Formats: sequence, C-alpha cells, structure tokens
Amino acid sequence: MSTSETILNVKNIKLHFPIRKGILRRIRNYVYAVDGISFSVKSGETLGIVGESGCGKTTLGRTIIGLYRPTAGTVEFNGTDFSSGRKDSLKKIRKDLQMIFQDPYESLNARHSVRYILEEPFHIHGETDREKIKERISLLLDHVGLSEKSLDKFPHEFSGGQRQRIGIARALTLNPKLLVCDEPVSALDVSIQSQILNLLMDLQRDLALTYVFISHDLTVVRHISDRVIVMYLGRVVESADADEIYRNPVHPYTKSLISSIPVPVPGKQRERIVLEGNVPSPVSPPRGCHFHPRCPYVKDICRTEYPSCRSYGDNGNHIAACHFGDSLKI
Amino acid sequence: MRINPLTRDRIKKFKKMKRGYYSFILLAVLVVVSLFAECIANSRALLVYFDGKIYMPTYGDIIPGKTFGLGYDYETNYRDLKIKINDEKLNGFVIMPLIPYNPYENDFKEGKYPPFPPSLTEKHYLGTDKTGRDIAARLLYGFRIAFFFSIALMIMTYSVGISVGSAMGYFGGRFDLYFQRIIEIWSNIPSLYVIIIISSIVIPNALLLLLVMFFFDWTKMTWYMRTAVYKEREKEYVLAARSIGASDRRVIFRHILPNTVSIIITFVPFSIAGGISSLTALDYLGFGLRPPTPSWGNILSEGYEHFSAAPWIGISAIAALVIILTMVTFIGEAVRESFDPKLFTTYE
Repeated sequence: MSTSETILNVKNIKLHFPIRKGILRRIRNYVYAVDGISFSVKSGETLGIVGESGCGKTTLGRTIIGLYRPTAGTVEFNGTDFSSGRKDSLKKIRKDLQMIFQDPYESLNARHSVRYILEEPFHIHGETDREKIKERISLLLDHVGLSEKSLDKFPHEFSGGQRQRIGIARALTLNPKLLVCDEPVSALDVSIQSQILNLLMDLQRDLALTYVFISHDLTVVRHISDRVIVMYLGRVVESADADEIYRNPVHPYTKSLISSIPVPVPGKQRERIVLEGNVPSPVSPPRGCHFHPRCPYVKDICRTEYPSCRSYGDNGNHIAACHFGDSLKI
Repeated sequence: MRINPLTRDRIKKFKKMKRGYYSFILLAVLVVVSLFAECIANSRALLVYFDGKIYMPTYGDIIPGKTFGLGYDYETNYRDLKIKINDEKLNGFVIMPLIPYNPYENDFKEGKYPPFPPSLTEKHYLGTDKTGRDIAARLLYGFRIAFFFSIALMIMTYSVGISVGSAMGYFGGRFDLYFQRIIEIWSNIPSLYVIIIISSIVIPNALLLLLVMFFFDWTKMTWYMRTAVYKEREKEYVLAARSIGASDRRVIFRHILPNTVSIIITFVPFSIAGGISSLTALDYLGFGLRPPTPSWGNILSEGYEHFSAAPWIGISAIAALVIILTMVTFIGEAVRESFDPKLFTTYE
C-alpha cells in the first residue's frame, strides 16, 4: 500500500499568532497555535491527525498547504521547501497540494455555480483549452459521483454530502498528489459520513493520493489512517501506526481519548478515563508538560520539565512524549 | 447562464414589497422619460408639416424662420408658427410637445410681469418663475441633472470606496491601520467650507462639483466594506480560493465582493437620495450650479424668496423633491428588506 518514498516532510514548524493591543498595536503576547511539530508522510499513505478542538490541528493543516506562513520551521514537499518561498514558487506547488475543508456550507462560494467553481482552477493556472477543461470536469464529476446536470446549479441547491463532493472535486481539479482533509466529514450526518469516507478511500486507491486526515473523531481516523498523530496544545504527544496506537496507547492523553470511544457492543463498558478541566489557553500554556494540569498520573517532574519524545514498541515507529511512558499501565 | 437562485429569491421578495416595487417602476419610468425630456418640454415642435414637407426639429440644428415663410433668420418660434398656420388656414400643421417651453426661455407677455401662475391655456402647467421660465420644464430637466449627477457621484465614490475598503479589510495589518487614520482625518475636513471657498473663486459647473463632492464622499463606503471584507476573509471559501492559487485581486473581486453585494446594493438608493439632496442643498445656498441651469435648488430658493407672491414655485419644487426622495427611500427600504438575510423583519 505505501511505498517508502517520503512526499511531505514537516520539520519543527511553529506558528505563533501575535496578539496586538493598544493604539500602536504593539505585540503583547502570542497564541502558540502550533509549537514545534515534525513529521513526515510517505507517498500513498494516510496520516491521521487527532486532537481536541483548539489544539492547533486546523492551523497545522493550513500551514502544510501554504495558506499560513510558519513562524519557524520548514515544510518540504518532494524535497523542496516552500514554506518560506515566494508567491510564484507557491503557485507551482499549489497544484500538488490541495485541501478539503471542514464545512461544505462555507467552503463553497454561494455566488458561484458549480461550473465556475470547477473551472476556476484551470483559469488560474492558465489552462485555456475549453475542450480539455470540459473533459476533465466531466471525469471529475464521475469520480465524485455527481451528474453533469449539477454543473449549472449553485451550492445551496445541494445537500451537505453533495456539497462535500463538489469540494472534493474542486480539490482534485489540478491533479494533486497530497490532500489535506480538514475534518471533511464532521459537519455531515453520520449516514453521509461513511459515504464520503469511502469515496475518499476509493479516490486514494484510484488516483494514488496521499492524505493528511485531520479529525477529532477517533473512529473515523482509525478507519482511514495508516498512521496517527495525537496533538495536544500545538504539540505532538504521541504518534504511531493506527492499529498500534489504538491497541497500546502510551500517553495518558491518548489513553483517555481512546477510552472515550463508545463500544458498539450492548452492555459492554470500557473503563473510562474522564479528564478534569478544560484545555488550557494556548496563549499561556502550562509550564512543564502541557498536559500535567489534567493528567491523572501527574508527578513533580511533569510540572517543571517538558518531556522529550521517546520511542516505544518494536520498530521504533511508536513515539510518545511522556516522562513515564514505560511505567504507566492502566 | 442561470441567474443565481439566491438573487432570484431576492428579486421575488423585492417584488412583494409593493410600495417599494411600484416606486421603483415609477422612478424607472421617470428616469427614462427625463432622458427624452427634449420631447416632453421643448420650445421646438415635435413635428412640423409645412408645404408638403415634414420637419422634426427636436434634435439637430436650428431651422430658421424663413423656411416656414416667417420673416426672420433666427430660430423659428413654433408656438407662433402653430397659431399662424391655424389663423391663416395654411396647408400644414405643427405638433408641439406636452410642455411647449424649454427650460431656459423667458416667456414674456405684453403688459404683464412674470411670475405667471399655473394655467392650462398658456400651457404653463406649474406656472413660471420670476423671469418667465416654465417651472414644469425646469423641474423635468432639473431632475435629469440631479439624478444623473448622483448616479455619477455614486459610481465614482463606490468604485474608490469599495476598492480601498476591501483592500483594508483584506490585507489588514499596517495597511489597514494607516488607511484608517488617513480616512478619519480626511472625513473630518469640513467639505461645505471647501465648496464655498472653491465656488467663490471659480463658477462651479457640474463636473467640478462632482469632483469636489467625490473628493469628500468616497470615505463613507470604506468603513462598511472594510468590516464586511474583514468578516468574509476568514471564511473557508476564501481559503479554498487561495489554496487553488487565486491572486489577491481575484479573491477580492471574484470571491469576496459578490458576497458583499447585498451590503452595497442596500446603500445604493440612499446614496442616490443623498446625492440629489446635497446637490439641491448646494444650489439652494447658491454654491452649486448657477442659473439659468435648471436645478431644483435654484427653483427652491426662488420659491422661498417669492413665496407670498408666487406660492406655486415653492410648492412645485418642494412637492417634486418630497415625491422623488420618498420614492427613493421606499425603494431603499424594500431593497434593504429583500436583501436582509433575516426574514420577516420590519422597519417601522
């Protein structure tokens, strides 16, 4: 399924949004939305990114495709770093990196017909052959399961699932290699969710796509991902192969997340780890391990020192940032 | 291309707003009519049949009186020609416009001083002013000037205001900050004083007034656009457009602007009403267009001066102004309501 070729390489990226105050709008503080994240994605695989809302996963996704410029760190795509590059170098890479957005009601411009939405990428990238565009669009519609009649309709004449299909078709217009899916199903009904997920998996198989799949829904991520990254407050707390992370979670945060997945067997109850309190503000993350105020196993060292990432398991793919990863057995 | 059903719904809703819709139709008719004001109020005949030939003197060069056997070389007085043909039973006829006077001509009568009161027989339907100019004709031509003046003013202020405001909202940061301060200072320049100073140096014509008023008015629209674009900028469809590689200009004009069009359109009728009333106010004060240009402000100030002796001047001007501004306001109200995303709101 996955070849060994690395397609995307994210190195220690940080994204800090300044908070400005006063008449002169001086920078008073920062929101540490993404605070030093590294990972790589191999061609053809699906990387799942999970975390609570506000942990920076959307920001991370947008930074990967170059919508935001990272404060520090680099994003390399096929070996070229574009995160600090100029606009024209970005435009070339745009073709290969596309995004599927969370809310299909907001991500399509209500003023444009489906035809306009799907044709625009060609106009922007200087494709003028009308026949070729037409051919490509009808192929795309076929891929995502929409009829040719939809072309002259406007987004709000479609249901949520159909709109998400339009969004997927738009993302595919330029033949991308990597798609960042930012919670592509969380705004949809459960029955539609599986349709869209299956569509995404079919497309991946047919078009040899690579996905970065962002979601807060652990079941969805497990269903679609090869590897999973768990984020907390802008940092990676654990990453491993999908099955491994669900079977042997190391970090207490991952454990509590996984314990919250409902078990589809009547009467059976999983032991729940209920976290106390809320996610701390990313403006002033706690000292030491970011998770310590909510961690049920907190020790003194957690309050003062941020744990470094350590490898677990057999092949070294399983990484977690916890001082007591080895000893915590629940 | 189909019309966006959103737009169609709005038009449907607008049509349901009866007084706004009918005002719109009436105003549209008035505007079209005023475009052909020369055929409605003119001292030139619409059609002259004389000696087996047809003349249509409304547009084009003057036809000297000798053509019709009158003993002069200057422009034919068609009203007199009509009387002459009737009296002498000559072979021919003259069809005069509804109001057989142009807005500049002074209709003097022997043994009487203008202003003349309204009279159907004289065809001065609203009377004349103190120099004998027909008021109905002047109101019609004045409407044309005022309406197209405010349309032109609106197009100018909107194109600059919308562009600057959108750029402020879209780019944000320093650009936004500096432009905000510039516009705050700019909009505090007392425009009336500047216009008074300018008009005391040169005699203002319509173009100069247009430029001066544009110079002060463009700032208004920037605030609304800035806020609207600021709000739209963070929506996902904008990010989607940027992620397919759309340029900033494309994002602003093709993606964001169509989504703020309801805000822009809502302001249009009120801007037109504002344009008409500010031009009229300037003319009234004597700093705008100078007589004999037919302008509502001039008629209004004359009506004020002679109100006890010739009330019809003032009454006609005030009535015309009230009717037009009310209609525009009705339209504005209906537009605002039909473009309002919140249904069933009422403005009482």
